[in-house]
Amino acid sequence: MAAYSAIVIILLILFFLMQRAWPAFEQQGVLEFVFGVGWDTSVSPPVLRIGPQLYGTLLIAAMATAIAVPMAISIAYFIVFIAPKSISKAAVILVDFLAAIPSVVIGLWGLITFVPVAVEWAAILNQLFGWIPIFAHDAGTFANSPFIASLVLAIMIVPIIASVTREIFSQMDQEVIRAAQALGGNAESTFRKVILPTSASGIVGGTLLALGRAMGETVAIYFVLNLVYDRFNWGMILMPEGGNVASLVLAKFAEATEAELSALMAAGVVLFVVTLIVNAIASWIVTKAQPWRQV
Amino acid sequence: MTLEMLARPQDSRPWTKIDPKLLRAMVIAAVFPTAFSLGFWFLSGLNFIVVLYAVFLPLQLLGGAYAGFTGYGRRGIPDGLLVVVTLFLSAFVLIMLLSVVVAVFVTGFQALSPHFFYQNNRYVGPTTDLSYGGLGHALVGTLMIVSFTTAITVPLGVATAVYITETQGKSRGLIRTLLQAMSGLPSVVAGLFIYAMFIATGVSSYAGYAGSLALVPLMLPTVSRVSEEALRLVPKELRNGALALGAPSWRAFLMVTLPAAKSGIITAVLLGIARIIGETAPLLLTIFTNNVTNLNMFDGGVASLPTYLFLNLSFGTDGSIARAWGAAATILIVVAIIFSAARIASSSKKTGKKK
Repeated sequence: MAAYSAIVIILLILFFLMQRAWPAFEQQGVLEFVFGVGWDTSVSPPVLRIGPQLYGTLLIAAMATAIAVPMAISIAYFIVFIAPKSISKAAVILVDFLAAIPSVVIGLWGLITFVPVAVEWAAILNQLFGWIPIFAHDAGTFANSPFIASLVLAIMIVPIIASVTREIFSQMDQEVIRAAQALGGNAESTFRKVILPTSASGIVGGTLLALGRAMGETVAIYFVLNLVYDRFNWGMILMPEGGNVASLVLAKFAEATEAELSALMAAGVVLFVVTLIVNAIASWIVTKAQPWRQV
Repeated sequence: MTLEMLARPQDSRPWTKIDPKLLRAMVIAAVFPTAFSLGFWFLSGLNFIVVLYAVFLPLQLLGGAYAGFTGYGRRGIPDGLLVVVTLFLSAFVLIMLLSVVVAVFVTGFQALSPHFFYQNNRYVGPTTDLSYGGLGHALVGTLMIVSFTTAITVPLGVATAVYITETQGKSRGLIRTLLQAMSGLPSVVAGLFIYAMFIATGVSSYAGYAGSLALVPLMLPTVSRVSEEALRLVPKELRNGALALGAPSWRAFLMVTLPAAKSGIITAVLLGIARIIGETAPLLLTIFTNNVTNLNMFDGGVASLPTYLFLNLSFGTDGSIARAWGAAATILIVVAIIFSAARIASSSKKTGKKK
C-alpha cells in the first residue's frame, strides 16, 4: 500500500495548494492572474498577477535549454564515441558528479564568480549586435538580465542532459553504426543520419526533463535576476528586467500579506501544473525512446 | 589497369598506424590555431571571449577541415568539423563546470578551519571576523533533517519500486508516470505545499520536521526509480529458483531478490540523499533557520547547510560571503563523499553480478 504514496502525495499537494490558492484565483480571476501584469498591495483590492513572471520563467528556461543542448550532446558524443576509454570513464564520473551539485552552490558561483565575467560578454554582445532589438540595452547595468540567468541555468542543466544523452548513446545498437560505416558513411554522416535520428526522441525527452528542472529552479536564479512586475519583457534579454515564478515566491514570501500569500500559493499551483505538463510529455517520450525500460 | 595496381596503392604502408602526412596535418591543425590566437590575444588586447569565438574557432574549424581533407579527401572535411565543434563545446562547458568546483574549493578552503565545523552562529553577525563562529549548528541540522527525510522516504520509495517490479498490480503504469512527474516537482512548490498543509493551518510553527516532510516528494522519485532499476537487474532465474524450491513469494522476495538487489538499493538511497542535501527553497519556507544548535525537530527553526549558505550570501558583506563559500565547500565535500559511496556500492554490485 506504501506504493500508493506517490498518488497520495500528488493529491495532497494539489489539494492543499488549491485550498490556499483559491482566494487569489477567485479575487483576481484565473486568466487575469496567469496572464495579467502588476504586483501591487497598496491599492484595494490588491493587484496580484504573474504574467511577466510566467513568461520570464518560460523564456529563461527555453534559452538555457537552447544553450545547454548542443553542449550536452557534444559532451555525450565526446564521451561515447571520441574519447579513449580512460578519459571517457573520468568524464562520466565528472559529469555525473556535476549533475549532483546543489543549485544553491551554482547560485553562489553564479553571483560571485560568473556574473562579473558574463557582464563583459553581455557588453560585447550589445556592442557588436546592439542594432538587433533583442540585444538592445539602455539600462545602467548588464547584470541581473535574463541572458545571464539563462547562462547560469544552462551550466546547471548541461550535466543533466549530458548524462541522459550519454546513456542513450552508449545503449545504441553498435551494429547500426557499423553498418553505416560499412556502407561508406564517414563519422559526420553517421552522426547526422544514424546516431542523431535513432536517439532523437531520447534526447528530446531528457531535454524536456531538464526544461522542467529549469522552470522550477529557484535559488540559482534568485540571485542573478532582477524581477519586474508591471510589464512584460518580451525579448530584450540584456536588460536587467526578467521574471521568474519560483524567484517571485522566494522574494515575496518573507513579508507577504494574507492576500499575497494566497497569490504566491496560486503561483505555485501554476508553476506545478506547467512543470507537470512538461514532465508528462518528457516521460512519455523517454519511455517510448527506451523500449527496454518498459514495465 | 591490372588488379595488381588496384590492390596495392603506391603510398601504402599498412604497418604504420597512421599516415605520416595525416599526422603532420593533425599536428598543424592542433597547434597552429591555438598558438596564433594566443599571440593575437596578447598583441591585440581584445577581450578573451571575442578572440576565442572570432579568431580561434574559425581557425580551428579550418584546421579541422584541413586535417580531415588530408586524411580522407573531400568526405573527411565534415568529419574534421564535427570533431572540432564537439571538442570545442565539450571543453568550453567542462571548463565552466570545473570553474564551479575550483572556485568553491579554492575560495571555500580559506574559510574552513576546525572551529568552522563545530562552532555555531551565536553572537555572530554579518561583519564578525571569520575566526569566530561556524556552521556546526547547520551541519547537525542538515544531518537531522536529512535522516528524518530518509527514514520516511526510503520505505515508501523501495515499496513503490517493489510494487512496480514484483507485482502485477493494475496501477503500475500510473504510479510510474506520477513518479516521473514528481521528479520535476519544483522544490519551491514542495515548500509551499508543506507550508499550506502544516504552518498556514496552524498545526505547527516553523519546525524541523516540516522541512523534512517538504523534502520527501523531492527524494521519493530518485529513490524509487533507482531501486526499481536495481530490482530489475536481479535475474529472473534466481527468483524462479526460489519459488520452484517451494518458497512462498514473500520469502523468495525477502531472502533472494532483496539481498541480490541490496547494493543497488543502497545506491538509490545515497543518490536520493545527494539530491536533497542541497535543497534550499523548501527549507526556507518551512523551517527558516536558526543561529544556534537546535536538536528539537518539533519546535523552532533548525539551521541547515544550504540555508546557512543562502542567508550568508544574502547578507552580502565580505565576511558573510566568505562564510557562504565555506558552506559551499562543505556541501560539495558531503556530496562528494555520498557520491563516491554510491559509486563503490554500485560497482561492487556489478562485479558481484559477473561472477
